[in-house]
Amino acid sequence: MREIFSYIKPYKWTAMFALCLMLLELFVELVQPLIMAKVIDEGVRAQNPEMIWQWGAVLLVLSFVAFIAGIVNSYFSSHTAQSFAFDLRNAMFEKIQSFTLATYQKFSTASLITRLTNDVTQVQTVLFMSLRIMLRAPLAVVGSIVMAFVVNAQLALFLVIGAPIIFVFLVVMVAKGVSYFGRVQKRVDRLNRVLQENLQAIRLVKAYLRGTYEASRFEQVASHLKIDTVKALRTMEYIMPVLLFIMNMSLLAVLWFGTKQIAAGTTPLGDIVAIVNYAMRMTGSFSMFAFIIIFYARAKASADRMAEVLAVENEVEVVTTSEETPHKANFGELAFENVSFTYPGAEKPVLSNVSFQVKSGEKLAIMGATGAGKSTLLQLIPRFYDVASGQISVEGKDVQQWELQELRETIGYVPQQSLLFTGSITDNIRWGDAQAGMDEVLKATMQAQIHASVEDFPNGYDTRVGQKGVNLSGGQKQRLSIARALLRKGHLLMLDDSTSALDVKTEQALWEALSDERATMLVVTQKIRTAKEADHILLIDAGEVVAYGTHDELLQSSRLYKKIAISQQEVEE
Amino acid sequence: MGFFQKPFGYEPILKKEDLKQVVKKKKGPRATDWKSTLGRLWKIVDEQRALLIIVFLLVTVSSILALLGPYLIGKMIDIYVMHGELTGLGSRIAWLIGIYVLLAVSLFLQNYWMIGIAQQTIYRLRTSVFAHFQSLPVSFFDRRQHGELMSRVTNDIEAVSSTLNSSFIQVISSVLTLVGTLVIMLSLSPLLTVLTMTIIPIMFIAMRWITRRTAPLFKEQQAAIGALNGMIEETISGQRIVKAFSQEERVKAEFRDKSLRLKRTGFWAQTYSGYIPKVMNFLNNMSFTIVAGIGGVLALYGHVTIGVIVIFTEYARQFTRPLNDLANQFNTVLSAIAGAERVFSLLDEQQEVEFPTSQKHLLKGNVAFQHVYFKYEQSEEAYTLKNVSFQVKPGQTVALVGATGAGKTTILQLIARFYEVTKGEVLFDGINVQQIERGALRSQMAFVLQDPFLFEATVRENIRYGRLDASDEEIEEAAQRANAHEFIMKLKDGYDTLLAADGSEISQGQKQLLSIARALIADPKILLLDEATSSIDTVTELAIQEALDTLMKGRTSFVIAHRLNTVHNADIVLVMQKGELVEAGPQQKLIASGGIYAQMLESSAHHL
Repeated sequence: MREIFSYIKPYKWTAMFALCLMLLELFVELVQPLIMAKVIDEGVRAQNPEMIWQWGAVLLVLSFVAFIAGIVNSYFSSHTAQSFAFDLRNAMFEKIQSFTLATYQKFSTASLITRLTNDVTQVQTVLFMSLRIMLRAPLAVVGSIVMAFVVNAQLALFLVIGAPIIFVFLVVMVAKGVSYFGRVQKRVDRLNRVLQENLQAIRLVKAYLRGTYEASRFEQVASHLKIDTVKALRTMEYIMPVLLFIMNMSLLAVLWFGTKQIAAGTTPLGDIVAIVNYAMRMTGSFSMFAFIIIFYARAKASADRMAEVLAVENEVEVVTTSEETPHKANFGELAFENVSFTYPGAEKPVLSNVSFQVKSGEKLAIMGATGAGKSTLLQLIPRFYDVASGQISVEGKDVQQWELQELRETIGYVPQQSLLFTGSITDNIRWGDAQAGMDEVLKATMQAQIHASVEDFPNGYDTRVGQKGVNLSGGQKQRLSIARALLRKGHLLMLDDSTSALDVKTEQALWEALSDERATMLVVTQKIRTAKEADHILLIDAGEVVAYGTHDELLQSSRLYKKIAISQQEVEE
Repeated sequence: MGFFQKPFGYEPILKKEDLKQVVKKKKGPRATDWKSTLGRLWKIVDEQRALLIIVFLLVTVSSILALLGPYLIGKMIDIYVMHGELTGLGSRIAWLIGIYVLLAVSLFLQNYWMIGIAQQTIYRLRTSVFAHFQSLPVSFFDRRQHGELMSRVTNDIEAVSSTLNSSFIQVISSVLTLVGTLVIMLSLSPLLTVLTMTIIPIMFIAMRWITRRTAPLFKEQQAAIGALNGMIEETISGQRIVKAFSQEERVKAEFRDKSLRLKRTGFWAQTYSGYIPKVMNFLNNMSFTIVAGIGGVLALYGHVTIGVIVIFTEYARQFTRPLNDLANQFNTVLSAIAGAERVFSLLDEQQEVEFPTSQKHLLKGNVAFQHVYFKYEQSEEAYTLKNVSFQVKPGQTVALVGATGAGKTTILQLIARFYEVTKGEVLFDGINVQQIERGALRSQMAFVLQDPFLFEATVRENIRYGRLDASDEEIEEAAQRANAHEFIMKLKDGYDTLLAADGSEISQGQKQLLSIARALIADPKILLLDEATSSIDTVTELAIQEALDTLMKGRTSFVIAHRLNTVHNADIVLVMQKGELVEAGPQQKLIASGGIYAQMLESSAHHL
C-alpha cells in the first residue's frame, strides 16, 4: 500500500490544497450548531431579533464560502486522483515492458490486464473520494466530538464510550475485507483469462461446437466471482448497522444523563441541544464511514496486487556493459559455447552443451525433430531467456555484456508464429525500424515477396490489419513478418521456420532475394532443400548437437539426416 | 504556483455543440435510450422479484424507523429534558432502544439480500454476453480487439455492478425518507416547510446542468477504458515481438496516449460529478440558515417552540440528505447506463443466421460448391473467391494447392460455415448449407487449424476437446497415433501437465501434434486439415501420415499443404489462383495435362 501511495507525492501540494478546502467546508458545517445555539440563547431567549438577523447573516456568508471551496476542491481532487492513476498505470506498464518472458508466465496476460485497469480504477476512486468527501466523515466525527467536548465535556464523554469497541471491530473488518477482496480480484483475473482464450480460439470453439461447453466453463468462473463478491460485500455489510447502533445508544445515554443534569440544574439546555445535534451529525457521517472502510479494504487489496507488479526485479535487463566495443570485422559473427538451458519451472533441460560457430555472412540451417529445441536456441540469442550455463557471443562479445537494446537492434527475428498487430500494413512493417522511409519499406517488402500482394489489396499499404493479422492468409502474414525483420537491417537474421506456409515458387524467389543479404543468417527449417543451400547445417536432437557440416557431409556422416532426406524423397534409400 | 494552475488546465472534452446535441437528443431518442437501457436492466433484476419485494419492505421499515428516532428525541427534549423530568424518561428510552435494534437488523438484512440480487444480476448479464459471443459470426471477431471486448464483460459490467449494489436501496429509502420528512415537517410548521422547499427548483436546474455533462463523459470514459484494455491485451500477448524489435518505447508511448485519453475524460467526469455534493451541501446550508434565522424570529413571537426549531433544523437536513442522495444516485445511475449501453449493444449484435427451415442432417459426405463468390467484408474489396465450383464424393480426399492468399483457407472456412457465401451455393449431399443446422453440421466435422491453439488446461483436457465423452484410454490412443504420446510422457506430469497460457513449454510442432490428436478423437464425417503438419519435421510427419491416412479413410477430407508430397494420395486436386479455381481433377490427370499443377510439381521437384 505504501509504495503505491508514494505515487501521490508529486501531487502532494494539490492534494493538500484539496484537503484544506475540504476542511474549510467541514469547519463551516461544524460551527453551524454553535451559531444555532447563539441564535437560541442570544436571540430567542434574550428576545433580541437583532441578534437573530446578525447570526443569520453570518450563516449565509459561511455557506457561500463553503460552496466556493467545494467547487474548487472538485478540480483539485480529480486532478490529483487522475494524475495519480495515470502515473501509476504508466509506471506499471513500463515495468511490464521490462519483464522477462519468464515473468510474463508468472503473471499471465489476463491478470496483468486486470491489474492495469480494474485495480487502478479501484485505488483511483478511493483517492478521489478521500480527497473530496470520505475524509470528511472521520474528520466530521472527530470534529463533532471535539466540539461536543468544548460544549460540555461531561456529557460528551458518553459519545466516545463506545470508541474502543468500534476501533477493534473496524480493524478486524478491514483485515477480513482485504483478504476477501483480494480473492475477488483473482477471480476477475480468471474470468479475463477464459474470455481471452475464447476470443483467441473462436474458430476452434465453433469448429468443435463447444459453445455450450465454453459457456458452462464461463458460468463457472463467473459464479465463483459472484460468490466471492457477495461474500466480501456481505461481510463488510456488518459495519454500518453495528456502528449506527453503538452511536444511537450513546445518544440515548447523553439524553438520560443530560436530563439528570438539567434536573440538578448544572447544565444549560443549550448545551444538551448542541450535543444532541453533534451526535446526530456523527450518526449521519457513519454510513459514509462504513463506505470508507469497504473502499479502503478494496483499494488495499488492489494496491497489493499492483505493488506485486512493481516489485518485480528486472533480472535479465540488468546489463553489465563492458568498455570494449565490438569491431566490425566480426559483423554478424555468432558463437555458442557449451550452452545449456532449462525453461523456468521445467525439470529437463531443453538444450545441453550446444556449441557451434557461425562466421560473418554465413548461412546456417538448423534442423531437428519437433521439440528438439530449435526455436529455443534462437530465442536465447536476443536474450529472451538467459542461458543456464555456457556462453553465447555475438560479434565476439558475450550477449550478457551487450546493451540489451543494442543487441536486439542487431538482430532481425522472424518468429515461427507470425504475430502482427492492429494497424496498417506499413505500421506493422515499420516495427522493424520506425524511422524507415517508404523506399526502404518497399525494398523490404519486395525482398520478402509480399509487395505484389500488398499492391493487390484495395487499400494497398494502408490496408488495416486486424488483431494478430486475422484478415491475412498464413503465407501473407509470414512474408510481412519477414519484411518487418528485413527492414531492421540487422547483422543477424533469424528465420524460425517462417516459410512453412509459402508455396514452392514464392519460397524459391524469397531465398533468391535473400541470397545477397550481407547479414549472417540462421534458418530453422524442415526442408532439406532449404538446408542444402546453407553453408552449414546444424542438426539437433533432444537438445544436443548431433551433426554439423554441409549437406553432402551430413548425408555421409549422419543417419538421422539421411532419414530426413529420405522422408522428403531427396535421396534414394 | 504551477500546482495551482494545472487542475484548471485540462483541455475540455465536450464542445459547446456536443452539449447542444445532447439537449436536443434528450427530448427525443435519447430519453428513450435511457429508458430502454434501464428497462432491459430492470428485466434481469426483476427475475428475483420475491427477494426484491422483501428488500423493498425492509427499506420501508428502516426508513420509517430512521425518521421515528429523531422525532421521538425531539419530543423527549420538549417534554422531559427541558424540564429535567426523569420520571417516564426511562420507558421512553427503552422504546428507543427497541427501535434502534430493529433499525440495525433491518438495515443489515436489506443490504444482505440486495447484494445477492445485484450480483446475481451481474452474473446473468455476464453469462448472457458470453453466451452471445458464442453465437456471433466469426466475422464479428475479425473486426475487434480482444481486449476491447473483454473490457465490456469486466469494466463495463463492473460499472453497472457498483451502482446496483447501492442504488436500488438508496433511491427507495431516499424517496420514502423524503416523503416522511415532508409529512412531519408539515405537521410541525407549514411555513418553515415551504421555506425549506424553496431550494428544490434550484437543485433541479443545477442537476440538469451537471448531468448533461457527465452522461456523455461517462460513456467516453468507458470507451477509453475499452481502448486501453484492447491495447494492453494485444501488446502483452505479442510481447515477444515487442522485445525482439525493441519497440518498448513505441508501445509505451502508445500506452501513454491511450492512458492520457482516459485521464482526461476521467478528470472531467469526476470533476463534474464532484459538483453534485457541493451544490447539495450549499443548498443544505442555505436551508439551515433559513430555518435558523426565520425560525428564530418566529420563536421570538411565540409562533413556534424552541423544540420545534431544534427538530426542524434536524429535519431540514433529513430532508436535504435524501435529496442529496437522489442527486448522487442519479449521477451514478448515469455511469451505470454508460456501461450497460455498451454491454447491450453487444447483445444486439446480429447472431449467426440460422434459417427457420434449416434441419438436422446426417452427412453422407458429398460436398459441392456451385458458382461460389465470396468477400470477407461488405466493403467494395475484391472477391476472395470468384466463381468456384467443384464436387466431392463421400470418402474422397481433396488437396487444395496454390500460392498463398489464393483462397484455400477461405474454402475450408466456408465449408465449416464460419462465413456465409456472398453469391452461389455450398451444398452437402445436395442440400444448401444454409438449410442445415449449423450445430448439426459442425458436429460432423473436425478441423485442424493453421495456428494450433491450446487452452490453459492439462494436455489430456486439450485432446478431449475433440470429443468431451472420450475416455482416458481413447485419448492416449489418439495421442499415440498422432505421435504425440512420446513427448507427452516426457513432460513433467505427462498427460496431466498443465499447459501455460502461451503454451511456451511445448514447441509449435508439438502443438500441431496435439491438435491432430484432438481431431483424431472427434471421429468426424468431414475432415478439414489446414497446414496441419507445417511445423512438424518430415520424419515425424511420415510417422503420422499413416494415422492421417486411416483417419481420412471413409471420410471426406480437405487438405491444405505446401509440401506437395504430403498430398500424394489425394483423389482430387483443386488448384487455386487468386481466388479462382484454375484446375481440378485427379492427380494423374492433372499431371498428364501438363497444366499449372504439373508445373508446380516440376518446380518443386527440381527447384534449386
